[in-house]
Amino acid sequence: MRRTLDKRALGVTALFAAALLLGYARANEPRARFAQAVASLNDADKSALPSAPMLTVANAIWALGSEEAVRKMLRAELDRVPSAEAKARARAFVRFGIIDSNPDGQAAVFFQACVSDPSLCDRGRLIAAAERETQARLVEPGRHLPLYLMSGHPAP
Amino acid sequence: MTRARPLGLIWPYLLAAALGYLLGSIAVPASAALGGGSSNTPLARVGFALRDNPEAPQLAAMLDGDLQAVRSSLAVQEREVFDLVVAVRGLDNGGTSDWNRAERICQALTWPRCDREALTQLKVHSVP
Repeated sequence: MRRTLDKRALGVTALFAAALLLGYARANEPRARFAQAVASLNDADKSALPSAPMLTVANAIWALGSEEAVRKMLRAELDRVPSAEAKARARAFVRFGIIDSNPDGQAAVFFQACVSDPSLCDRGRLIAAAERETQARLVEPGRHLPLYLMSGHPAP
Repeated sequence: MTRARPLGLIWPYLLAAALGYLLGSIAVPASAALGGGSSNTPLARVGFALRDNPEAPQLAAMLDGDLQAVRSSLAVQEREVFDLVVAVRGLDNGGTSDWNRAERICQALTWPRCDREALTQLKVHSVP
């Protein structure tokens, strides 16, 4: 009688363990695939993943958003992005400069871009960065290089 | 009487199997919450799917809960834009764009262009 009970207890325990493993494996499969895919990224790409959703929203607004939506987004970006993320802040300033209709305002904003990312103090690089942004913008305003960059103004 | 005995013998096995499977399934999110680094959060997983990579559509199937978590973390005016991106990138649809929904969301945002061509370009230009 006791041996029968022991056998049953062992059977129930084994079945519990097998079901536990099966449940874990099935639920873990997609996460394991994600972990595998992320493992193939370099450290910089991995650390950039959490900010990618916000960056995507900002890019979408820049591509198609109204001028008002773009201005709101850029203000929020500059509030949110820490100064340590120089490239991201500089890009926000470049976008601001592109949609600013006032040449003096453009000069001030492009100077801020240069302060954030010193590589943009080079006029050629600043123009190249602005051209990339104008190509990514699908509606007006902001589809053309601003006057400040097209005329012979000195580098910021 | 003769049928009651076999059932009485079987139910502990059934219970063990059901309980084991349930606990195993629950253990995954629990262990992820306890041990996950910054690259294993809803933001990071959605961020990975939003990148331009060929595995994104396959991984999108696991994103349902993550998409909700990211959406609720956004400011109100950004949620609709996020929904628009999710629709054009097909993140909640196995990687297949939902153009009709995207167009509706775009029009609700009162953006200057909401035609298919513009939304198709948005799909490319929104990649982080």
